[in-house]
Amino acid sequence: MIESLFVLSPTGKVIIEKHWHELIPRRVVDFFNDQVSKAMAEGEDVTREDVLPIIASPKYQLINVYRDGLTYLSPVTKEVDPMMVFEFLHRIPDIMQEYFGQVSETVIKENFVTVYQLLEEMMDDGFPLTTEPNSLKEIVPAPNILNKVITTMGATTSVSTRKMPHGMSNLPWRKAGVKYNSNEIFFDIVEEIDAIVDSTGKAVSCEAHGTIQTNSRLSGMPDLTLSFVNPRLVDDCSFHQSVRFNKWESDKVLSFVPPDGHFRLMSYRVNLPSQQNLPIQVKPSINVGANGAKFDITVSLRNTDGKPVENVVLTLPLHKSTTTLTAQCNVGHSEAAANAGYNIGVEFLINSHSLSGLKVDVLKLFNESYKPYKGVRTMTKAGRYQVRA
Amino acid sequence: MYNVDAYIKSLTSNAVKLSKKVQDGIVENTRDLRFENQAHFLDTNEDKMREIRKNLDSKYEKEKLDGLKRLIAMISKGRDVSEFFPDVVKNVASNSLEVRKLVYIYILRYAEQEQDLALLSINTFQKDLSDKNQLIRAMALRVMSGIRVPVISPIVMLGIKKCVTDLSPYVRKIAAHAIPKCYQLDPAQKDALMDIISTMLGDNSTFTIGSVLMAFNQVCPDRLDLIHPQYRKLCKMLVDMDEWGQITAIDLLLRYSRTQFLNPIGKSTAQPASRTKKEKSVVKSFYSDDDSDVSHHSSDSESDESEEENNSVDPDLAYLLKCALPLLQSRNSQVVLSVAKLYMHLAPAEDSYKIGRPLVRLLRTHREIQYVVLNNIVAIASQRPYVFDQFYQHFFVRSTDPVFIRNLKLDILTLIATESNITFILRELQEYVKSSNKGFVTQAIEAIGHCASNIPEMAESCLGGLLKLSYSKSGSVAAQSVVAIRRLLQQRPGDSVFMITQLTKALDEITEPLARANIFWLVGQYSSQLQTVAPDVLRKAAKSFATESESSKLQILTLGGKLVALEGTTSKTVSLLFQYVLNMARYDLDYGVRDRARFLRALVYGKQKVALATIDLDSDENDHENGLQESDSTEQDAHNVDEDFAYSEKELNLSDHIKAILLSEKAAPVQENPSHGREQYKVGSMSLVLNRVVAGYEALPDWPKVQPDPSVRRLAATMEAPGYMNDRTGFGSDSAYAKSRQGQDISPAGGKGRYDGQAGAFRGAETLDKFLESSDEETSSDEEDDSEEETSDEEDTSDEDEETSEAESGSGVEDDDDEEEEEEEASSSEEEAILPTKRTNGRRG
Repeated sequence: MIESLFVLSPTGKVIIEKHWHELIPRRVVDFFNDQVSKAMAEGEDVTREDVLPIIASPKYQLINVYRDGLTYLSPVTKEVDPMMVFEFLHRIPDIMQEYFGQVSETVIKENFVTVYQLLEEMMDDGFPLTTEPNSLKEIVPAPNILNKVITTMGATTSVSTRKMPHGMSNLPWRKAGVKYNSNEIFFDIVEEIDAIVDSTGKAVSCEAHGTIQTNSRLSGMPDLTLSFVNPRLVDDCSFHQSVRFNKWESDKVLSFVPPDGHFRLMSYRVNLPSQQNLPIQVKPSINVGANGAKFDITVSLRNTDGKPVENVVLTLPLHKSTTTLTAQCNVGHSEAAANAGYNIGVEFLINSHSLSGLKVDVLKLFNESYKPYKGVRTMTKAGRYQVRA
Repeated sequence: MYNVDAYIKSLTSNAVKLSKKVQDGIVENTRDLRFENQAHFLDTNEDKMREIRKNLDSKYEKEKLDGLKRLIAMISKGRDVSEFFPDVVKNVASNSLEVRKLVYIYILRYAEQEQDLALLSINTFQKDLSDKNQLIRAMALRVMSGIRVPVISPIVMLGIKKCVTDLSPYVRKIAAHAIPKCYQLDPAQKDALMDIISTMLGDNSTFTIGSVLMAFNQVCPDRLDLIHPQYRKLCKMLVDMDEWGQITAIDLLLRYSRTQFLNPIGKSTAQPASRTKKEKSVVKSFYSDDDSDVSHHSSDSESDESEEENNSVDPDLAYLLKCALPLLQSRNSQVVLSVAKLYMHLAPAEDSYKIGRPLVRLLRTHREIQYVVLNNIVAIASQRPYVFDQFYQHFFVRSTDPVFIRNLKLDILTLIATESNITFILRELQEYVKSSNKGFVTQAIEAIGHCASNIPEMAESCLGGLLKLSYSKSGSVAAQSVVAIRRLLQQRPGDSVFMITQLTKALDEITEPLARANIFWLVGQYSSQLQTVAPDVLRKAAKSFATESESSKLQILTLGGKLVALEGTTSKTVSLLFQYVLNMARYDLDYGVRDRARFLRALVYGKQKVALATIDLDSDENDHENGLQESDSTEQDAHNVDEDFAYSEKELNLSDHIKAILLSEKAAPVQENPSHGREQYKVGSMSLVLNRVVAGYEALPDWPKVQPDPSVRRLAATMEAPGYMNDRTGFGSDSAYAKSRQGQDISPAGGKGRYDGQAGAFRGAETLDKFLESSDEETSSDEEDDSEEETSDEEDTSDEDEETSEAESGSGVEDDDDEEEEEEEASSSEEEAILPTKRTNGRRG
């Protein structure tokens, strides 16, 4: 049971508090802030991220999520599956993102009435109630100019007159009565490459994590079937609630009724066989002398199907004791700032390229008569990609 | 004339009034037309407080909203604004939905403090329960049940009873949520609430059922007998429930299964292979193309191949496991973890490999979720390491990982190390040793030690690696690796001679005190096998004694003592060296060293009789924390020994027993895994993560020793009566179906015919696809009302039917309360019906 929520600003002040069960006094926040500062004082390189997600206090277990500078703190008294609490706490900023476009202290303050209503609907007496953005939007209207005009121009949502959200279609994730003039659906296949490459250029671990971000603008209750050219590539995957698991198991197709608007249809993982698949090769050579060190880092491209690699960024963290630093690049530009660590972080971006080779084949639509426009875009970028020096 | 004049006059005045009003309204409303920014409500000073009351009394919605928003702002700032309760309650019946919602938020917050005033609002809620909009009905019940005023529990009860028969699944869901709240208000209502729950368990809407199960878990978790008739249906519905419902359902089904099935975990595929194969083929030929129908399933274990292997699993249990399997693909990490829990605690061990991959997938999410998953993986891997051994790469540490993630990953790497992956893991661990973070390096070295002791075949190469590390320039790395070597050697006495010789060679280069102390101890302990090397080590040590650290000095003394004890006083050199060391120690600054010297001198050369208690000079070896503590505890021991001299009574000559005292075999340290103990907790629980019992933790029930009657589920399936829930499958959909859709699998006989035989028993469960078909049934409120009307008619007739056919159907679900209520409902829907029918007529025309 999730009893209360405190959203704390980066300085540890309560921005918003909500109690779904009994009141939990604010003292608990002070205790939490003390614990955090204590933990962070332990070592030089301890950051806020290193603070434990569950902190025990005499009476409560302080379950906290730290995201985008804000802390979502939920003190619980009794045994509860912590994962459920984390999952729920992460949904809150997800939904706020969906509603307000960004999440920050100011955004919450600017929309706190809406946030309050959302929190009220998302949880009932400690149990999650409605967490689907599409259903929520039926109950709590998202702030947009049109809504604002309607409410201000006298047409206040009178209980009897306004055509109430008939809401709650039988599919919790899709609202009923959606209508578009042009029916379109867009799939963005974004693949992130996670890799650890050792100093000889050999990949210690290497895999592609893909997500299919979908933007659906289809009328009515379309029932879609999306098939891939090569679904067997997928090693492991997870789906949006709307996807029929069994169809994937049996036919390796995605069969689903899409929610309206943006959603993540599928996440998948593809194991990449060897380092040859990596689009970028980084070879560091480090010479440490008595009066300093020289880092030579060679970056070369491979295997991108002729697609250009963009936004290549190398981060080479140096120890805090570094005094001076000069950096030179043959191509592009360099910035110098000292930090601590021992690995080179790599970022890059390749448009219209999927490293795993996963390709969308056909989209079929049932249950509605129109022909939708289907847009597919692919992109490969570096995820947790690091090279050991 | 006069009349007309007067009329015109009044008309104009009215018109003026009207236009003024409109103008006012527009001015009023547009005043606030800027892009939504509610932040200004947050700065509230005393003046504004006074304004709030005025706002709440205003006739303009806008101002009311302003006032309410300000109040909510203050609540969120933690200020007590309960003084406004009377002013707020007045607005509970406001026409504006927006106002109402805010009023509700306020009331829920303060009702407990202002109980009497809160009662004022109850009337409105009761009225709203009959509203034709499902959201309003639901909201009314939610707020009413949320008001924590015990007096109103009977009213809440009535409200729940009314709403559980509601046509809208959303309202029924809310009703289910209200049940535990009502129970908390008045535990005396438990029986009545249980009745409601047991009827609601028959609900076939996947939207509702999760909440019903939640209520069940809260109110009567022990009444598992209520689950019998629903078990298979719940399994089937699992995949279509909402994510939070799935979590609750899995929890419940796990508990249920632990009491209803025999333990399949222990049983292996002991049965003759031929028999298994034969059965398999029979099963295949029978049900080759139908694998979704449950009724078939219950008769035999047709399922995918892996499950056919173990036909010792109860078919019902196998069915649950099969139904839960797709949920491993859920995007909700708790659902994935719940399925993992199910498999860990219910499935035969050989099935648990299925949970490995999905759990590993969760590692690529938020760090908090990683934290929980890794903790659970530690617990699972310590029992069944083979689930994860092929995923070792995913546990490699990244430089960006937070500390707690890093440590957990190291634990897992040591747990899942096998002969096939150890080389990769070791290489990786050696990479970590280069890190600039000292704590991390220490743990990486310890992990290498753990790996070596877990896989004896690899110990040699581990030792080699550690030896290399002990030459490291970094003091702590060297020290840690020597400590790790020392531990390993104690476990594997066979290797020791060679290794120790190697170490002694390095002695000149190793400067870290802890490392040196450990080497001295090792040499002393194995001196009987190191007869050429040991005296030389003592010689070197004697030379550098003055510059050694305290812990090394202590160990040098012990080493000397041991050597003398071993060779007696025969070897003059050793004896002389020892005496030299003793003399050095006598004038040492540290009292611990002086103490130890005095003690050893007495022990080795002393002729006087001393009392002996149990003396264990080297008791430090049981310590697994770290070497520093070990040397501390050695000092401690020396003191204890002194005390023992003073207090014990037995007298004997110690030097006779000197060998036994100094050179006893030391028990090898037990390498306790830091995660030890986690596996006793339920997977996914907070107790597991914290590795201690958290208040409210309930362990899983033990498996039954004797098979409970499995027929309760089967029997119940046939009995699954045309209870009133089932009569209206799809809630309001039947009539809608009949009119518009003529769905293929809906038998024309209506709801009832479907439940007659066992074969159709589960058809009623609404699947996703069915949802789709009926998805537009509530698209317009008009239609909804239509259906409501019709269903209530239908209900009456079906009631009659039921009375006549009760004997054959065996239904006993319906009770008097419901009938009363239905009357109420029927009448209310009649009242409502007038309006919508008119409207529909108009539209149709």
